[in-house]
Order: sequence, then structure tokens, then C-alpha cells
Amino acid sequence: MNEITRRDLVGGALALSTVGLAGTAAAAAGFELAVVAFQMSSETHARVANAAAAAGKAKGWSTTILNSEGSLPKHAEQLETLIQSKPSAIIVAMGKPVEAEEQLKKAKDAGIPVVMVMSGASPHILFDIEANEYKVGAEAALWLLGQMGFQGKILTERFDGNVGTRIRGRVLDAVLAENTGVKVVGSHAMARTQSWRDDVRQGMQTQLLQHGTEIDGLWASFDGQAFVIDDILKAQGVKKGQIKFVSIDGGAETFRRIADPDSLLMATVAIPFEAMGSGAVEALDRIVVKKEAKAAITAGPYLFMDATLVDAVNVAQFLKP
Amino acid sequence: MTALRPFLATYGTALAGLAVVVVFALLKPVFLTPANFAIILKETAFLGILSLGFTLALVTAELDLSIAEVASLSAVVTGALVHAGFGATVAVAAGLSTGLVCGAANGLVVTRLRVPSLIATLGMAAIAKGLGFMITQGVAFVGRWPVSFTGLARGSIFGLSNLAWWLAGTAAACWVLLDWTRIGAHLRATGEAEEAARLAGVATGRMKRAGLTMCGLGAGLTGVLLAASLSSAAPNMAGDHFLYAIAAVLLGMTMFEPGRPNVPGTLVAAFSLKALGNGLVLVGAAYYVQDIVLGLVIVASVALSAGALGRAAFVEKLNFKRPS
Repeated sequence: MNEITRRDLVGGALALSTVGLAGTAAAAAGFELAVVAFQMSSETHARVANAAAAAGKAKGWSTTILNSEGSLPKHAEQLETLIQSKPSAIIVAMGKPVEAEEQLKKAKDAGIPVVMVMSGASPHILFDIEANEYKVGAEAALWLLGQMGFQGKILTERFDGNVGTRIRGRVLDAVLAENTGVKVVGSHAMARTQSWRDDVRQGMQTQLLQHGTEIDGLWASFDGQAFVIDDILKAQGVKKGQIKFVSIDGGAETFRRIADPDSLLMATVAIPFEAMGSGAVEALDRIVVKKEAKAAITAGPYLFMDATLVDAVNVAQFLKP
Repeated sequence: MTALRPFLATYGTALAGLAVVVVFALLKPVFLTPANFAIILKETAFLGILSLGFTLALVTAELDLSIAEVASLSAVVTGALVHAGFGATVAVAAGLSTGLVCGAANGLVVTRLRVPSLIATLGMAAIAKGLGFMITQGVAFVGRWPVSFTGLARGSIFGLSNLAWWLAGTAAACWVLLDWTRIGAHLRATGEAEEAARLAGVATGRMKRAGLTMCGLGAGLTGVLLAASLSSAAPNMAGDHFLYAIAAVLLGMTMFEPGRPNVPGTLVAAFSLKALGNGLVLVGAAYYVQDIVLGLVIVASVALSAGALGRAAFVEKLNFKRPS
């Protein structure tokens, strides 16, 4: 490549970037909503962020989604930088209020209202929109044990690196402690790595090799794990219903699998992630735009939204035509 | 163009960085405010310190691919001790020692066992990552830790954040070491002409060990500051900085002393990368646009300098030979 061609390419790339940036800056007028998702590669984070952005756009707001890519330092950095640009409001999906306490305090001091979703409470935010993970965990555990007649053996796939999934596991332990007819014969705990699907597949394949013929039930701490396990079981020729199988989160793919006779997944507790994202926008609209008191929406640090148990009985309601 | 070539080779990346600053300043005036620059400096601290450590290893023509995982492990060790109620001094000492020991181990494996640094440090990265998970069991240490510890990273002195001061101190120490001391000259000689340096009486093996050990110490310091800043510690928490640190050092090699890892270059490159990220957030660029623009600017910057420079210097530096 000669010198002129290289210069042209470099110049073109910079010009393209500049035009793109100018375009995004020009769009920012009126109410500016910033949505920070902790990890957009996680489906649930993306569902909250995208729903919030869509709801903001529907109100005519300028919305921006930032992705912290699962990095705590980047999460804190992005919040700190956002405060400089003084958006009208910030929504944080699956954020880290303790780690980002310094930045959240700065946002509060700068008069920028922050609503978090599935993150945990902080004195520096308006409130956190949550599904009650204790309730969610109890529903999944009791559905599984009920299907098994409170007798038998189960395998569990856990994830203790996330507070929500850890609570679900601990609630399962509490339920099992009261229902001693059901025994955990094997368990695998997923590590928080980018290759977590491989981790789940390897761990559960080993567990199924050891206990596959004797188990009556399977519990996965979130649906992503359940999909991996479901595929392993399908490949092994196991039929739906032979093993009672529950997980938690909900979503189009989960509902499809619950309805699919070839899938082993039988139930989930569906958390309304989209409603949480759009609910955050609605709450900001009432508090920031319409100047309603926060107490009119929720008095405490949380705004709870109900999760729904979805199984063969009601899955049809959740399937999109 | 012939007259411009040496100028571009020396300052091409810095000019690209300046162009980025001008574009953001035009689009979003808040970008140029002292408050925002103070934030960028603060944000540069982790990447800068990690990159400066990497620079010291690369000066001796050795790579350290374990920096991010060693930084994460140091954060976990420090965080575990703070979380357990130990004093800040003990925790910080343990965190720094973790980095130092990992760096020294890398140096020994490279020079004594003659394992190429690419492989040796990849192995160390895996070990550090495993140890991080072993200590935490995958669950991050999080809490509202004492100010005696978090104050290392939070707060400011003379209007400049503590993190920026840590970066300035580290950069000054590295600059003095490399440019003003005999050890620095020996480190450079080892990296640039190992055989000639050895024949001239330079202890090249010791210099490589020193470079990698100091790199580990830089990772340890980054880990300690990360834990203090975020009041938490988790495995892989510095993982995000890995590619950026390498990018900062390589971009830095296109400035000031083209083809050579150098402290001012690394520092300016790290600052430019963070300024770019900061500016993109300020103008409201979507998250995927940020990744694309970041990639384009990195490639464009290097193309401007490397084109005039010729690629030989890069190839030579990245063509790591088995240590003699």
C-alpha cells in the first residue's frame, strides 16, 4: 500500500469517527437519560437496559446505553464521567452500589437522580427495582420438590459469585433443610469467567456421569445454566419429565424450551426484566418530569416487582405468536 | 512528505491524541474543563501504573502477559486481609508482596528455566487467576472498608485525586530509573542488544529478572489501589485493563523514542486512551460505537507513526527470542 492510500484510509477512519460522534452529540437535547448496564453480554442485563432505553425513547428522551463490560473499575469510571456530562437521570442495570458508592454520592451531590435495577440499595440513589430473590428462590425450590413428591435425589448447578443467584441457592438449602426426603447427591458451582458455559458443561457432564441414572430432579440457579444442562440431557436421550428440572429468570428462549416437548426444562420463575427497565423510566418520569414525590412510588430503598412461576400450565401465555 | 516523516514518527500518535482532544472539545465543551481532566487523570491511574510496569519488562525485551491477573490476585489478597479486619499496612504490604513475588517468579522461570516469557507469564496468569478464585471461592469481598485503607485511592491532595498522585509518583520513579540510572541503561542495553550487552559485562539475566519483578510490583500496586478505590476485591477485577495496557505501551513506543518502550510515551498513550473513553461517554456515543471508535483510533494512530517509522522496530520488539 503506498503512502497516499494509507493516509486516505487513516483520514477516512478519523473522519468517519468524527461524523458518528457529531451525530450522537447532536441528538442529545432535552431530557437526557443515561443507562449503564454492568454487562451487556449477559442477557438479563441487556434486557433491562434495552427496555429502559426503548421506554426513554418512546417518551422522546435522548438515551444512551453504556456497557461496563463486567468490569468494576470501568463501571465506576463510566459513572464518574457521566456525572460530568450532567444527564437528566441515570438508570443502572445490575450495578454495584457498594463498589461505586463514591460515584453514586457524587451523582447525588450533583443533583442527578439515579434509579438502579437488580443492584441493591444505596443511600445515594432514589431506589432499586428488585424482584424479591428470597421469594423467587423459594418458589423455584418448592416447585421442584413438589413435582418430586418431596422425595428423591437432585443435582444442583449453582453460582455464588452473584448475590441474586447466591440467595436463590441459600433459599434452596433452607427449603431442603426442612424437607429431608430430598437429597442433593451432586453439585457444581460455576465460576465467574467469560467461559462460564464451558464451565457449566464440564461440571454438569461430570455430575451426570456419576449420578445421571439416579437423580429425580435438577435445579439451576439461572436459565443460562439450564440451557447448557438441557442440551447435555437431550444429547443423552433423556425425555421430558423423567427428571424434574427448574431454573430461574425467564425469557423468550426459556418459555420456548418449557413448551418444547424435546426440551427437559420444565419450569422457571420469570423475573420481569423488561418491566423493570421500563418501570425505572416511568418512575423517573413521575419524579423528575412530573415532580411527584418519591414516596408516591415507594417509601423504602426498594421497589419490588413480582416474579411469576411459569411451567406447562401457563407457558402459553408467555409465548409470543 | 520526506521532511514530515521524522516528525510524524516521533509525534504522530501524540498528534492523533491532540486531534481527539480537539474533536471532543468542539463537541462537548465540558471535556476541556479542569474537573474533567482531573477525572481522566484519575481514571488513567490503574491503566498507567499497570502499563508502566509492562514497559519495564518490555524494555528488557520480555513480555508479561500476567499483569492483569497478578493485579487481580494482589487486590484479592489485600481485600481478604482488610475484610478480615487486618490493618491497612499489613494488607497493602501483602498485596504489594504478592505482585513482587509473582514478578520475581516470572523472572526466575524466564531466566533460569529458560521458558520464553510469553509462555511463562501465560502460565503465571492462569495460576494467579486460580489462586484468586481459591481465596474468594468466586464470591467478591465487598464492604464499606476503613478509610485508612480506602483513603489510599479515594480523596485528593491539592485538588488532584490520590490516584493521580500515585500515577505521578510511579511514572517519576520509572522515568528516573530508566533514563537517569546505571540500572536503567543496563535494562535498555539488555533489551536492545542482549548479546552485545552481555559481552560488555551487563548481567542480562539479572536485568530481565529485575524488569519482570518490577512489572509484578506495578501489577501489585495496581491491585492494591483497585481494592482501595472500589472497596471490594474480586478475581479478574483488573482483567479489563490487560489489552489496554498492551495497547498503551505499544502506542507509547510510537512517541518520543520511536520503536523503544519509554515512560513518557506510555503515560501519554494511557492518558489518550482514557481521554478517548471519557470523551465518548460525554458525547453520548452508544457502547458499541465506543468500541469501534477506540479500535479505529488505535489503528489510525499507530498507522500514522508506524507507516513513517517502518514496521521493523515493532517486529523486532515483538519477535521474542528464547532467552540466552
